Amino acid sequence: MNKLPFSILNPARRSFLKTSAAGTALAATSGFLELALEQKDAEAFAHEPYLRDDQLTTVVTSCDHNCGSRHMLVAHKKGDVIVRLSTDDGRYQAGGAFGKDTFAEPQLRACLRGRSYRSRLYSPERLLYPMMRVGERGEGKFKRVSWDEALNHIASKMVELKQKYGPTAILDQAYAGSSYGVLHKSDQIEGLLARFLGMFGCRTNSWSVPSYQGTTFSSNMTFGTIHDGNEDDAFASGKLIIMWGWNPAYTFHGGNTFYYMRLAKQRGCKFVVVDPQYTDSAAAYDAWWIPIRPNTDAAMLAGMAHYIFANNLQDQIFINKFCQGMDAGTMPEWAKDQESFKDYILGTNDQTPKTPEWAETICGVSAADIKKLADMYARTKPAALKASWGPGRNAYGEQYNRMAAAVQAMTGNIGILGGCAEGVGKGWHAESVAYPYDENANLWWASIKSDRWAHCVINYPNVKREEIGCWPREDELDGKIPNIKAIFWHGSDWFNQLTNINKEIEAIKKLELVVCSDSTITPSGLWADVLLPIATHFERHDVGLPWYKGHYYIHRPKVIEPMGESKTDLQIYTELAYRLEQLDPALKDFGKRYNPRAERSYFQDPEAVDEAYLVAWWKKVQANQGVSMSWEDFKRHGVYKFTFDKPHVAFREQIEDGVPFETPSGKIEILSTTLAKVKDWTRTQWGYPIPSIPKWIEPFEWMGHALVKDYPFHMVTPHPRWRTHSIFNNIPWLRETYQQEITMNASDARKLGIVTGDIVEAWNARGKVVVPAYVTERCLPGVVVVFEGSWMDLDKQGVDRSGNPDFLTKDEPSPAGAFAYNTILVNVKKSALEHRPGWDSQATARSYIFRRDA
Amino acid sequence: MTKKLDMKEVKVALERKVAQTYEPVKPAMQFGFVHNNVDCIGCRACEIACKDKNGLAPGPRFRRVMYVEGGTFPDVFAYKVNMSCNHCAEPACLPTCPTGAIWKREKDGIVDIDSTLCIGCRKCEAACPYGAPQWNVQEQIIQKCNLCVDEIDAGRKPYCVMACMMRVLDIGPIDKLWAGQHQTKAVGPNDKIVRQVKNMASPELTKPSIAFVPHSKGKVE
Repeated sequence: MNKLPFSILNPARRSFLKTSAAGTALAATSGFLELALEQKDAEAFAHEPYLRDDQLTTVVTSCDHNCGSRHMLVAHKKGDVIVRLSTDDGRYQAGGAFGKDTFAEPQLRACLRGRSYRSRLYSPERLLYPMMRVGERGEGKFKRVSWDEALNHIASKMVELKQKYGPTAILDQAYAGSSYGVLHKSDQIEGLLARFLGMFGCRTNSWSVPSYQGTTFSSNMTFGTIHDGNEDDAFASGKLIIMWGWNPAYTFHGGNTFYYMRLAKQRGCKFVVVDPQYTDSAAAYDAWWIPIRPNTDAAMLAGMAHYIFANNLQDQIFINKFCQGMDAGTMPEWAKDQESFKDYILGTNDQTPKTPEWAETICGVSAADIKKLADMYARTKPAALKASWGPGRNAYGEQYNRMAAAVQAMTGNIGILGGCAEGVGKGWHAESVAYPYDENANLWWASIKSDRWAHCVINYPNVKREEIGCWPREDELDGKIPNIKAIFWHGSDWFNQLTNINKEIEAIKKLELVVCSDSTITPSGLWADVLLPIATHFERHDVGLPWYKGHYYIHRPKVIEPMGESKTDLQIYTELAYRLEQLDPALKDFGKRYNPRAERSYFQDPEAVDEAYLVAWWKKVQANQGVSMSWEDFKRHGVYKFTFDKPHVAFREQIEDGVPFETPSGKIEILSTTLAKVKDWTRTQWGYPIPSIPKWIEPFEWMGHALVKDYPFHMVTPHPRWRTHSIFNNIPWLRETYQQEITMNASDARKLGIVTGDIVEAWNARGKVVVPAYVTERCLPGVVVVFEGSWMDLDKQGVDRSGNPDFLTKDEPSPAGAFAYNTILVNVKKSALEHRPGWDSQATARSYIFRRDA
Repeated sequence: MTKKLDMKEVKVALERKVAQTYEPVKPAMQFGFVHNNVDCIGCRACEIACKDKNGLAPGPRFRRVMYVEGGTFPDVFAYKVNMSCNHCAEPACLPTCPTGAIWKREKDGIVDIDSTLCIGCRKCEAACPYGAPQWNVQEQIIQKCNLCVDEIDAGRKPYCVMACMMRVLDIGPIDKLWAGQHQTKAVGPNDKIVRQVKNMASPELTKPSIAFVPHSKGKVE
């Protein structure tokens, strides 16, 4: 395909703005040339003449996707066209002024993805009309249909499937793709789709969360909560921050975490990065880089624990007071005869002391470095060990997070400023629900590990409950294998994002209905039967909120009218509910019950109802969070920033005031009561045994595995900076900043005759992908890195030309449900096949031009 | 696409602007960028903000964050050098322009291109030692950073500066920046400012208005 001019991007919306400005202002005084606007049309994408910000209408809003933070976007619009975006400059908050950027109320500056949003809004990939499949499933052939036709088809099919196959026929694969609204929330957990399918009476739930299930499990078992996070400003108080698999230069958690860490650096904080890559975070924070073999983190942490115990550097007072099962003295009565964590580390029972030397043979980090780091961590008070999610996205990833929590606890670095118990890292608690929420929020008749759906569909009914991680129930449906015949995607590109895509392709052909609701076409959408166009957050009324860290709300008014015939998801599910109640008498008043504040006219005009939901939500904010600002004032400012009298530190109350932890014992459970008391693992959602104390367990695939003979490289698949998972993959501006590539060490590349820019193929028994190489010294030899989320592009031989690593990942989760995204062995060679960076050829990745070897 | 020029307009422009190029403007105050090479995470939010502000298609990049790395595993280093137009004291681009489209503003030394006069000859692109002029293939003209002169005139700062998540990019009076007398978050309490870093053309060529906090491996002897 030839290179297209940028204007083709937006044939419908690149509308020309007729301006009514009077006068041929040639601003000669300033020297800035401003053309006569009434003589020439202004364009949405124009360098000159352009409208100055102050000639445009300013509307504060925010970004919306599942990246872990939430930043302000300020739309500058003329009529119904957004001419440009800016971000927080200090002017908008109460008491604000241009440039105001204080420690307590920092500006919420948007990242590169947010700044590119106009390109997504006006992209040729936007879905503007309902569409229905006309070709084979996955062929990508659709025809435009009316809303009536699309919704009637879905409604009648839903009723038919429920009657024919029972209440587990529809698989809910909603995800957090647009979860950052309090009203229009797509989510795996209690989102709009969950309640809709639940009230309809047919829903199989997907319970394991791709991003962090290992970490969630660990935090819940160890601390009894996932609220183990400090607020981002607490990171400014660090003396030592160990960034374990954490790259805040790429994954932004909290409005300003990366910036507060810069302040910490200026105040003398030392940084350590444990990661197979020398990341941009390692560089920016001038960190001591410890390259580690992927998926061996629990072993290295065990080695550190051994050094700390052996040298008596643990905080024994803290352990005795707050921990269960750390050592013999803290074992509960009922487990006196069981192995404590210290027993395991010292090898009391298994005769294998987990010494730094033992760890070295597994993780590849020298025993000397393990000792040095352990010593540094144990002697620096306070010190933050931030155990990030990435290393937990592994076979037995939960053991890494549990082990990290044990090391955090044994050094007494929990509940104090400058310490860290993360983990999941969820900090300050927001009021996040404005949408209808009740006991129907999460009804299901089966609930399975999310990456086992294809296995379940392909092998039904010959599937064992433990293979798919059936969540236990109290009724006769307990352990019943769901008979999945349909998938609904909402804010989700899971077909592109879950593991082992080739197996998914086999499974999806067996389904009878696939519905995709999204703002753009996605790789998943290509496999749908019905495509429903969703208005983006620029086209509907909502409030944005941070997710894991950050303490503020951003008002998100309807900036422009919904494009094409797009509707909000709440409109669509409400209208579907009204149609379903006419088809099935059992669903009496479904429409009204699903969306109590709305009439059926909501499908045409949602504004008054949305406002009413948000007003009610703001009353909760005022009542529960001590906010005195009125709703009207909040709308006028566009942002509300909370300030705290002291930094929010997780578990401060537990440590300072003796409030019990939310675990069964009220302690930090190094020995988990819940796990220790399981009798039949097959009847748990986990399916397979999980040790009650953290242990190193050999993963399915790793650099110490016999498979390295055929597949000598361990691939990790972190989150890219220029996409939010797969969202934004179609944005030419962002593809210009970076290319999908395979990062490999220079010595490995030399052996294979590969240089930067060469096209290589990476493959294993599960699939093959084609991707350009980036050769560097910044990566551990034997490791290759391919970022998740590129839009799959299969050739006729079944080779993915986009370089999507999930053709290589394994669809076998860890027992606790952690996705094994980083547990992959592959082989790599130079390839004659062509790499296809995107579905269009408008953007040439020119990032390599701006790389220099010093 | 070739442009039909109003030759009278060109004449006026030549008188008004080109005349200044042969005797470089001495601005009342010269604005320049400052960038912290070490603390920059290389996120390129500044680049995208710039593209959006200026409505650029893929291709021209007014602002360019360059990734520099070196060393041998495991002793490696990396840093970023972030540059757009340096609004030089003696801009090499300016005298090359045959239509007088390029000019330097007296008030604050901003170097700008009048797009209505640009004929796309690309001479300035070749003359600039820092790669600032960018070829816009759709419009067939050269464009570059004008320090968001509209924002400057409104009393604000350029889009790239206001986009910087790490607060490592800023503008200020360049003399004061070089002298370490200008308060800015881009420069930390222990940071020292330089006028040149490795892989950068000599500042003697055009006297660029740029200041950097260099990486230890990026210092020029």
